Amino acid sequence: MPFNKENFNRDWFILRSLVSKDFKLKYRRSALGVLWSVLNPLLMMVVLTAVFSTVFRFNIENFPLYLILGQTLFTFMSDATSSAMGSIIDSAPLIKKIRINKVLFPLEKVCFALVNFVVSLIAVAAVMLFFRIAPTVNILLLPFLLAMLFMFSLGIGLLLSALSVFFRDVMHLWSVLLTAWTYATPLFYPVDILPDWAVPIMNANPMYYYVSYFREIALYGNTPSLEQTLVCLLCGVGALIVGLLVFKKQEKKFILYV
Amino acid sequence: MPEVVNTSALTVEDETAEIEDNRPVMIDVDHVSMSFNMASEQLNNLKEYAIAIARGKLFFEEFKALDDVSFKVRKGDVFGIMGTNGSGKSTILKIIAGVLEPTKGKCTVNGNIAPLIELGAGFDMDLSARENIYLNGALLGYSKQFIDEHFQEIVEFAEVEKFLDMPLKNYSSGMVARIAFAIATVIVPEILVVDEVLSVGDFMFQKKCEDRITQLIEEYGVTVLIVSHSNDQIARLCNKAIWIEKGHTRLIGPAELVASIYGGLGGRTGTGQSESIVFEALEKMICGKGGVDDRSVVLGTESSEGTCAKVVLASLGGQSNIESLALATDRTHVNAIVATGFAGAKKIPVVASGGSDSLSDSAYRIILDYKPRKIFLFDCGSSQDGLITELESLYWKPEVISFGKLLSVRDFSLEVYSYGLRQGIWGKEIAFIGLEENTLSIALLPLLFRLGIPVFVSAENESCVEAAKNIKALESSPRCFIVGETVLEEYKCEFQEELLGVDVIYFGGDQNRALVDIASYAFDIEDGECDVCIATSNIVQWPELISCGCMSRIKICPLLLIDQTSLDSEASFLSLLDKYRGRVSKVYFINGKTGLDDGTRGLFSNYLFS
Repeated sequence: MPFNKENFNRDWFILRSLVSKDFKLKYRRSALGVLWSVLNPLLMMVVLTAVFSTVFRFNIENFPLYLILGQTLFTFMSDATSSAMGSIIDSAPLIKKIRINKVLFPLEKVCFALVNFVVSLIAVAAVMLFFRIAPTVNILLLPFLLAMLFMFSLGIGLLLSALSVFFRDVMHLWSVLLTAWTYATPLFYPVDILPDWAVPIMNANPMYYYVSYFREIALYGNTPSLEQTLVCLLCGVGALIVGLLVFKKQEKKFILYV
Repeated sequence: MPEVVNTSALTVEDETAEIEDNRPVMIDVDHVSMSFNMASEQLNNLKEYAIAIARGKLFFEEFKALDDVSFKVRKGDVFGIMGTNGSGKSTILKIIAGVLEPTKGKCTVNGNIAPLIELGAGFDMDLSARENIYLNGALLGYSKQFIDEHFQEIVEFAEVEKFLDMPLKNYSSGMVARIAFAIATVIVPEILVVDEVLSVGDFMFQKKCEDRITQLIEEYGVTVLIVSHSNDQIARLCNKAIWIEKGHTRLIGPAELVASIYGGLGGRTGTGQSESIVFEALEKMICGKGGVDDRSVVLGTESSEGTCAKVVLASLGGQSNIESLALATDRTHVNAIVATGFAGAKKIPVVASGGSDSLSDSAYRIILDYKPRKIFLFDCGSSQDGLITELESLYWKPEVISFGKLLSVRDFSLEVYSYGLRQGIWGKEIAFIGLEENTLSIALLPLLFRLGIPVFVSAENESCVEAAKNIKALESSPRCFIVGETVLEEYKCEFQEELLGVDVIYFGGDQNRALVDIASYAFDIEDGECDVCIATSNIVQWPELISCGCMSRIKICPLLLIDQTSLDSEASFLSLLDKYRGRVSKVYFINGKTGLDDGTRGLFSNYLFS
């Protein structure tokens, strides 16, 4: 499908419709509705804080904020990738019948995860207010961070959605990998408790950089170093390129397998 | 029998074809082939994949869904695609819709397509109708503004005003289809694709959909692609059509022509030779375009007894007084064949009385009209009480002679035989028929009637052949009809020595072949003009054929039982009729609830009388 304004408008409207569909379905028939997107991270934070400030004690200042920052950001990535993964298979009826830009399906899931993340930022703001941490000018880097993480998640989402069409095993494997990844990322522990052997692993973990970046700008009010920014950017762009390449190469075959 | 589906291309001389057509080509399907890798469809996980590689079987069995199909659809065409299930219709639609890439060849589409391919693909059952209209509209490529403008129109067309905010899962499938159709046709697309949609929804809505499609065609000159099994629909809506069979183009041309050829040949099996016979006949019919010929008559009503009554009346041809008649229930076909042999010997009509304990309306009417003094009741194995009481209580007190009360089929046959023997009505023939040979024995009715043949029906554990030997029934009958293989075996066993001197006529083996043999034999027993009855060999039709024997009252009237699903059967009957064409003066189609479809009836009467 050639790229032109008409197609773009069409795709944009489809994207909006799909996101609003997901949004409506997610909160339909729940009394608190969208408030859950705020409450959820807050409650999660309370639980984790309770657990980690009694059982494991880490010496982290403003631990709840430390926690909720990592937690929400990671949830964005994991929600985005795991829902994007099944998006092609789930839209099989459409793919088989209508000529449609297939990238839209994983893209929509990532967008939807982003919307949820943005809503949950209210929870983050509330916690910051509670701990009397004033945002610095660095918080303005947040959209930039989100853009990078968005690319990263979309790249992985595209890759997974394409792979899962051919090998449904990917879907089972990914949930396990995500759990492992949660623990391999310093969400509720400080990096410096890691033994020496684990340091290279941490350095190879893109989520570590994203989470640290988020904490730099929101919790510590620092400007992230150029090096850190570059790593985040490269991970995002790299993942997106790989994901798109694989997806575009395979998309014509989807209809035969979904 | 292996299934033979012909896929060779057919050609019809067509004077209207290929007049220089310079309307722009909207869809150009150019030598398109599509192959699927059958194996790849099933490999859904790594384990299966690895196993397949290890076995070296990863790329086996290529399935060709389409093989070198080409056609052009021009602007304003209403193009029909026909074919049996699995012949590649949907595949070609998917290729045209652009969701599937052909393996070979090219498909060019000029213009936007509104896909109706399986309506409502993008619906979410949890959303309300209102939300779904927007969502589906978006997926079909409409802008928000466009949907806003036409929202009311869609809702009105689909007739769902009251339920707009109800989740779609609470809708019936017909209502969902309505909404889908309304959304898909609210725009005026350049190309509209209709895939069997008209088969959903109630008939009022179907009509509405057809009207909308017709409106799009006539007012806006939309190019339409219709996929259907229904040749009527294609003939009604389209101007051009293609028939695809197992991925091969069979015929392409004017819709009416393709539809009638498809109606005659589609979905039937048979050898290529048979097909060309039927095809020639079809071609003759289409080119001839002869009107309704009064030499072909359709006999039928809603009930099988009613149909039989019509046959009886046709056979009586105005004769007003009947001394006696035979009444056969349709609890088993044995009643019909035994009764027909008996009635033939006595030259009385066979009336069907239905399967219950009281007379059917039509039988009652006949009895009341003719007031026969004697009624022979043939009802094997039942208690008969209700029927006998009802018959005896008729005001002119007819004499009722009943056969088969609580008897097995063998004893029933013997009872009728010995009654006839006492009356001295039997001729020089005798028939042994296997109980399981339902269709063949029905086909034999004209012979049984015309010759007045006593019938011995053998059930599995009760051999009539043995019984007939005991009463020396064969001694006075130098000609013996045998139907069914098991009966033939028994016969050979019992009458090893006596075989000499008896003329054995055997019908059996391949059913369609045997049916032709029986009809052919019937033609041959007499010379000169005769009538013919035609019905299907479908086993459900036999209750309508109970009275067919009576048609042979004055002249033999062979009964042709045609298997509509087999071209071989149709072809052999056509050849048979070809042979006796000069002799046939009238054709009766027995066509009540079941029977030959219009197309096939037309084919046969045209073949005979044009």
